[in-house]
Amino acid sequence: MPTLTLERHFDAPPERVFAFVSQTEHLLKWWGPEGMFVPEHQLSFERTGPWMSVMKNDEGQRFKVSGHVTHVDPPNSVGFTWAWHDENDQRGVESHVTIKLVPAQNGGTQFTLSHVDLPSDEVAANHEQGWTSSLRKLERLASA
Amino acid sequence: MSDLVQTFAALGDATRFAIVERLLIRGALPAGDLLDVADISAPAISRHLKVLREAGLITQTVDKQRRIYAVDPAAMQSIEKWMLDHEAFWKGSLDRLAAALDRED
Repeated sequence: MPTLTLERHFDAPPERVFAFVSQTEHLLKWWGPEGMFVPEHQLSFERTGPWMSVMKNDEGQRFKVSGHVTHVDPPNSVGFTWAWHDENDQRGVESHVTIKLVPAQNGGTQFTLSHVDLPSDEVAANHEQGWTSSLRKLERLASA
Repeated sequence: MSDLVQTFAALGDATRFAIVERLLIRGALPAGDLLDVADISAPAISRHLKVLREAGLITQTVDKQRRIYAVDPAAMQSIEKWMLDHEAFWKGSLDRLAAALDRED
């Protein structure tokens, strides 16, 4: 199964980083790539249970993702399931996200995010080569 | 996801891609205005239109004697959503997380 792993070092202690990855008010400061805002959300990883967020970009496109918080272990890790919704609000294939925080020697934090069971590589493998540039072209046209 | 595979498979043909491209640029068009996208026969174009319709990329409506084709916005939306892949999502988010942590030191 495809796995995405991202590692970062932060100059803040695990307790502080954990607050940023678990509490609503902090999550809203960074959730989603630049240019996205989050008009609707149930975004807290301080307790197990459901979560969701709706992201919008400048062009008004709407992206909804939801899941279930499966474990919370402050200030070490959180885990949650993840699935995009389609335009009819049907949930797509489910994947799983784990964030792990480990104290680093200088008082900082080693941050590891893994996102597993992603369907996109599988989908990508089914495509013929060469459509990517076509898609970029289409995307430009569609958003023009 | 299987829908997307079908979508991309349908677009992986130069003639069908040209049809979708023209419909994106010019909006809804009758079949007659699509005949010159490639140097092939009208029945061949018609077969391509059928493939695109079955893949959900275009819609067909009937206006008197004419069949009008248009791009289905839902198909475009699902492509765009797929483009927002997870790596881009998390990398973008973590850059902002780093900045947020720095800002409030």
